[in-house]
Amino acid sequence: MLITELKPRETIVSLAGDKKVFIINCHGCKEVHFPEKEAVELQKEMSADGKVTGIITTDYICNPENMKLRLEKHMGEIEAADVVLVLSCGVGVQTIAEYLENKKVCACCDTYALPGFQGVTPLEYDCDQCGECYLNLTGGICPITACSKSLVNGQCGGSKNGKCEVDSNMECGWERIYRRLEMVGRLDALKCPTQIRNYATDDEVAK
Amino acid sequence: MENRTKYKLKAGDELASILAGKDNLFVIACNKCFKEFDTVDEPDLGEFEKIAAENGKTITGSIKVDFLCNKTQTEKKLQDVVPEGTENIVVISCGLGVQTVADMKKMPVFAAANSLNYTGHHGMALTKKSCDACAQCFLNITGGICPIVDCSKSLVNGQCGGAKNGKCEVDSNKDCAWEKIYRRLEKQGRLEEFLNQPVQIRDYSKTNFKFVNDYVKSIRENRLEGYYGGVHPSERKELSEHIPLVKFPDPEVVAIPLSMHAGAPATPVVEVNDTVKVGQKIGESAGFISSPIHSSVSGTVIAIEPRLHPTSGNQVMSVIIKSDGKNTLHESVQPKGDLDSLTPDDIINIVRESGIVGMGGAGFPTSVKLKPNKPVDTILLNGCECEPLLTADHRVLLEFADDVIFGLKAIIKTVGAEKGLIVIEDNKPDAIELMQAKVADISDIDVVVAKTKYPQGAEKMLIKRVMGRQVPRGGLPADVGVVVSNISTTKAISDAIQKGMPLVERVVTVTGEHMKKPGNYIVKIGTSVKELIDYCGGIVGDDVTIKMGGPMMGFVLNDVNVPIMKGSNGIIAVDTDHTQTVECIKCGRCADVCPMELSPLYFAKYADEENWQGMKDKNVMDCIECRCCEYICSSKIPLVSKIKAGKGAVRGMK
Repeated sequence: MLITELKPRETIVSLAGDKKVFIINCHGCKEVHFPEKEAVELQKEMSADGKVTGIITTDYICNPENMKLRLEKHMGEIEAADVVLVLSCGVGVQTIAEYLENKKVCACCDTYALPGFQGVTPLEYDCDQCGECYLNLTGGICPITACSKSLVNGQCGGSKNGKCEVDSNMECGWERIYRRLEMVGRLDALKCPTQIRNYATDDEVAK
Repeated sequence: MENRTKYKLKAGDELASILAGKDNLFVIACNKCFKEFDTVDEPDLGEFEKIAAENGKTITGSIKVDFLCNKTQTEKKLQDVVPEGTENIVVISCGLGVQTVADMKKMPVFAAANSLNYTGHHGMALTKKSCDACAQCFLNITGGICPIVDCSKSLVNGQCGGAKNGKCEVDSNKDCAWEKIYRRLEKQGRLEEFLNQPVQIRDYSKTNFKFVNDYVKSIRENRLEGYYGGVHPSERKELSEHIPLVKFPDPEVVAIPLSMHAGAPATPVVEVNDTVKVGQKIGESAGFISSPIHSSVSGTVIAIEPRLHPTSGNQVMSVIIKSDGKNTLHESVQPKGDLDSLTPDDIINIVRESGIVGMGGAGFPTSVKLKPNKPVDTILLNGCECEPLLTADHRVLLEFADDVIFGLKAIIKTVGAEKGLIVIEDNKPDAIELMQAKVADISDIDVVVAKTKYPQGAEKMLIKRVMGRQVPRGGLPADVGVVVSNISTTKAISDAIQKGMPLVERVVTVTGEHMKKPGNYIVKIGTSVKELIDYCGGIVGDDVTIKMGGPMMGFVLNDVNVPIMKGSNGIIAVDTDHTQTVECIKCGRCADVCPMELSPLYFAKYADEENWQGMKDKNVMDCIECRCCEYICSSKIPLVSKIKAGKGAVRGMK
């Protein structure tokens, strides 16, 4: 699950240029986010110029087998186009680009990560999947994501009135951690040895 | 299948040090997501318990939970499971699960696992392709090969120069991404275009936690608003929503099934060669949950024989009537008087004798609904029409507003409710405006605008959204003091009282991308679907699926020589879906969208194993078959047919 945002209008229009285009919309992760209204509007305008050979809306084009089955009956329209515009995350664009190897396949969206939300339910919680969970020392508040500096050994000292010095709208992660530890009577956790973050790849950690 | 597990139990010695000085542990283990769903058993919990025992720890209890990160459901599952005497909670899950629990419980919570980052596998279908979600997609200049992921150095302006024989200098097993990009662009004749690109600068500030968090929060609030789950399929209502109602030309022959309602089929009361008139009863109700059937034309009964039923797929006894084209009204079709002079029992009687059943599709006899066995304070008029494409109720609201309000008043009077609420989704602003103006002077009737979300028209969701009341498991709306009525049904009640006309016609939306001339028609019950489609110019294109009802809950019609029934709100011609089912990857999106808060993934698994007891234990009978799970399923599993099989088997168990 990923968030997709439409690229600037001018960029998309320039990708099409004065060439014939075929457009593929992916609605697979729509419940997470897909800028549907803007996308439909844009495609209507582009169609008005008569340069669109076809538009399909489908889901999960990241699944290559099903994507092929769905594109098969549109191959005529795709062949007739000079450019294939794909409105999906980067995974979808690459799946199409590999399948239509000889076509110019372009991405109309930018993809934003859902840190920690590749799993199931998009929540406001964060997990950076660092591979060495610190939550035991921090009362279940992640210092990697709750602290703008991702400090793992306590506060930087720069917070003012409980707010982060990097982003004054953000609560200091370490103050939250302190309060949580105090609440559950675990302030002793702060006496743990100094933590060193291991940036090694996950492949190594997983072994 | 590759293991894409997102976390791994911490090593034994690390766990031992975490547990030092702590005892009386309650263990919560998440059943991993994104893995091949061949087994429900997770070894982690057992492994942890073994390690805890070796360290002499007491475990007060444990629980395995699906999708621990799903806050709404986890809160319910963890209620009252932690026994007295527990001092510490240990969670075996990814960081999301641990934080969800830590935020919920006022007790020390420990993580027993490390979360792993499987970059590139976050597409819903698990593919080898990867995307780093950099928020400034470079694929347009690289021929669709990602330089961030495929180049070890994530270079965005060409090769580093270190590749040897096409292999990366960092990892000699890896092809140089920029060589791949070059070859792809060369093939497409786009080298010049690439060389003329300005230098790309990567902006690392584009993705930050706060942006994403705010984003997710707003999306999540939107998703959970009103009731849990639900989806937002493309509406495509613009195809027909502005087309005024047209009376469909009289058919020459109608075939009226004796079973267009929930319950026992009606018993025919006419014989072949009998002459019948419009509104004449041709089938008598055959029980408490049943309904009479009336002729929609005047003419001669030419046959009483089994015919193909559009939604059940079986042969069902039907009365075939040849119209004389005169539409002579039956003597019984007389106005029944004004509301003040009718008693509740009179109204129930009129509704029963007029053969009125729920016209949203389920076909439950309305007269039964009007006699609830519990006190009812509110009538909800269901003007959501949450199914994509359909616009029948929308047109009825616009063109028969007064009749709908009359019908609502009749229902309020019959069940003795305090008020009536007309609920309309915000995608029908014209209907909202009209109804608001019409009810402005009526003290006990109001219009409620509901944010569009499927399946809002399902009565349990509607009640939750509007009243904030939860219909108990296996219960009826009356259990929480509510009666829900469909728009067309309410209009039919008005016709039955004001004109004395039984339910012999209804509004049908004929639409879809493949319908030549979409529209909304007033159609006589028993009219052939084929005639209706032909009248609308026929089907455009090949490879079309025709459904009776909407795209979500409609029934596929393999044969269009079937009649329009009381519950047929639409005939749609849409693209055929050419996907194939692949294995469940336990992504959990079905559990995320199920408005009844079930876990449909288990239904797929249990149906294949014919584990009907398992189905029952997972509350398969609560399923309302809204098809949200099937809509969202990235593995394209036909969940609803598996659920239907399960329901059938569970019913047989009793």
